[in-house]
Amino acid sequence: MIGKWQRCVRLDQPLFTKPFYLFASLAALAFLLGLFRELTGLGYVTGLNDGYSWGLFKNWNVTALTAMGSGGYAIAILTWLFNQRKFHPIMRTALLTSFLGYGTGMIALGFDVGRPWNFLHFNNPHNWNPHSVLMEVAVCMTAYVIFALDVENMPPFLERLYMSPDPKKSAWAMRIFYAIRASFPFFVALAFLLPSMHQSSLGGLMYLAGPRVYPLWQTPRIPLLYLLMAYILGLACVLLVLLLSSMVWDLGWDMDILEQLTKLMGRITVAWLAIQYIDLAYRGVLHLAFNFDYYSVWFLLQTFMLLVPALLLWFKPLRSQPGTLFLLTFILTMGGLIYRFTPTTIAFSPLGNYRYFPSIAEILMSIGFTSFAVTLFLIAVKRFAILPAPAGEVTAGAAVQPFDTL
Amino acid sequence: MDVNRRDILKGLLGGSAIAGVVATAIPAAGRDSDAIEPVPDAVGLLYDATKCIGCRACMPACQNANGLTPDRGGSGGLYMQPDTLNAHTKNIIKLYTSADGHEKSFMKQQCMHCVDPACVSGCPMNALHKEPEGVVGWNPSLCIGCRYCQIACPFNIPKFEWDKVNPKIVKCELCRHIVGTTVSQPACTKVCPTHAVVYGKRTDLLAEAHRRIQADPGKYFEDRVYGEFEAGGTQCLVLSHVDYAKLGLPTLGKQSAPAQVRQMSEFIYRGFLTPIVLYGGLAGIMHYRWKHHLIHTETSQHHEGDPAAKPEQEKNA
Repeated sequence: MIGKWQRCVRLDQPLFTKPFYLFASLAALAFLLGLFRELTGLGYVTGLNDGYSWGLFKNWNVTALTAMGSGGYAIAILTWLFNQRKFHPIMRTALLTSFLGYGTGMIALGFDVGRPWNFLHFNNPHNWNPHSVLMEVAVCMTAYVIFALDVENMPPFLERLYMSPDPKKSAWAMRIFYAIRASFPFFVALAFLLPSMHQSSLGGLMYLAGPRVYPLWQTPRIPLLYLLMAYILGLACVLLVLLLSSMVWDLGWDMDILEQLTKLMGRITVAWLAIQYIDLAYRGVLHLAFNFDYYSVWFLLQTFMLLVPALLLWFKPLRSQPGTLFLLTFILTMGGLIYRFTPTTIAFSPLGNYRYFPSIAEILMSIGFTSFAVTLFLIAVKRFAILPAPAGEVTAGAAVQPFDTL
Repeated sequence: MDVNRRDILKGLLGGSAIAGVVATAIPAAGRDSDAIEPVPDAVGLLYDATKCIGCRACMPACQNANGLTPDRGGSGGLYMQPDTLNAHTKNIIKLYTSADGHEKSFMKQQCMHCVDPACVSGCPMNALHKEPEGVVGWNPSLCIGCRYCQIACPFNIPKFEWDKVNPKIVKCELCRHIVGTTVSQPACTKVCPTHAVVYGKRTDLLAEAHRRIQADPGKYFEDRVYGEFEAGGTQCLVLSHVDYAKLGLPTLGKQSAPAQVRQMSEFIYRGFLTPIVLYGGLAGIMHYRWKHHLIHTETSQHHEGDPAAKPEQEKNA
């Protein structure tokens, strides 16, 4: 069914389904293992060691998955900076994925740090090291979640509050809404600035490791590559979520929006690959990509997984088919995730005899935190007007004025 | 009302051009100060592998001085026998033997106390810091256990207590908790029977190293001291007749990684000017867009028939 998405609707469907139980129990298992980790120590639960001290939690749940969580950032740039208001109906979906991506990333980080109680000292800016890229990432990410994502994700919740029979609650909802409405441009500007800073700095983090990161990945241009990859993966994540939701809940296919996102994602990907290869040639290490050793194979795999879908999606017949669109976007996403994941693990070589492969408990926790995001997504789209839908007969679950302006 | 995009892009380009000019006009003083000089009183160690007899007396001395439990892993639990630096071992003597067995050298491994340490530069909370005499110290009350120091250190020195609920970062701090109060030098130099490792000011140690090289040219590898320039200079220096790379000392450039990161950050952030200009521009555009968005949506009628929407006046009454 082709339909133009024009508004956000709540899904009136039962919450407790089999997939819900699956994701919720995976999430519960992760938190149980997390509790065990807090009572014993990182070494008992993870495969981390003194050589590879960063593993799945930081490299996958934070570095890779917050790139997937950049959907809100990427779509907001399209909607507001480039004045493409037709993307407004998918803003809520994009912002929710961002919130869940960042939120679960930060939960994973909470279990990963060894001495979390010292976060108390984080409240005193005197303790911040201005030269530390990690401090910049920590401050920007926290500020982004607290000041930008929280505010941007508020309207669906205010809407429900407004609809409550208690007039006091409705009045409160209106009061908060008007406060947000008045200051919204300043929050959104923050939502452009902060991810630009921390998504590039996530790459900048590895620049301090110098020659420990293999030259195919270690470059002074690593912040730029990380930032552009955040746009690519952000768009990809929104595409995948929309396609999956449409398949599962029959929201119709707004091919106009989907194709535009795809085109943009494909073009940024090609530009990204061009920048990466030009940088390799400029630094004189391009030949390393064709050594066909361990590093070269990973590098070429990543290029292949990005380039092939990006080129195929250039053809209209391939991108106007939801099935192929999903498959190609999925491959491209995997390629992008490999890039974001590589510099701290595959391309990282400490001195000495160290090997790292995540332990089973670590993998379960990592999957569990992502499942937690999926669980919350399922609750949110069934309780709040998040997902886009075509205009049609009015249902009780649609976004209401004036909250739909946000 | 609609596409003023071109104007806005022009404005953005103009704005960033101005920001660029302003930023480049700021004196390039930042560039020169990227390199950090050792403090005048900087202390360190000089380890001469040609004098080391491999008695390993420095290792239990280090254990005792720092209250570490001995790592008995390599001996089947009989005696202290660590195979590498770890959460129980801040100092170790290793033996390098070439494949043909002819070339041999001992190697003492501990924190190099860099002049411009990557761990200190990366540490988000200043838990790792430079003491007044240049010793790289660790402050347990600020460390959040993020382990970025382990990612950053080119010598792979900081170790983490993986099996503890309250894990610490373990690394040589040149016995800073006792030197100057109960003793005059670290435990390892104090017990060394051949003075293969000596403690002193970096300037004195460097002069001594060069004196030894000049006294016997060709004795030491490439007639150079490891740590004089590597990674911006280290306060612990190494002399050996064997290629330093074979002893596990990485081949590093003269510029420290932190200096490179500072340059990169300065290039992007221009002393925090970029984020401020960017925020101003973005907030300006958003303000304009938002005004028009509100006019467009709040005057459009397509939600009128929504029975779910209660009349606003009634709600606010």
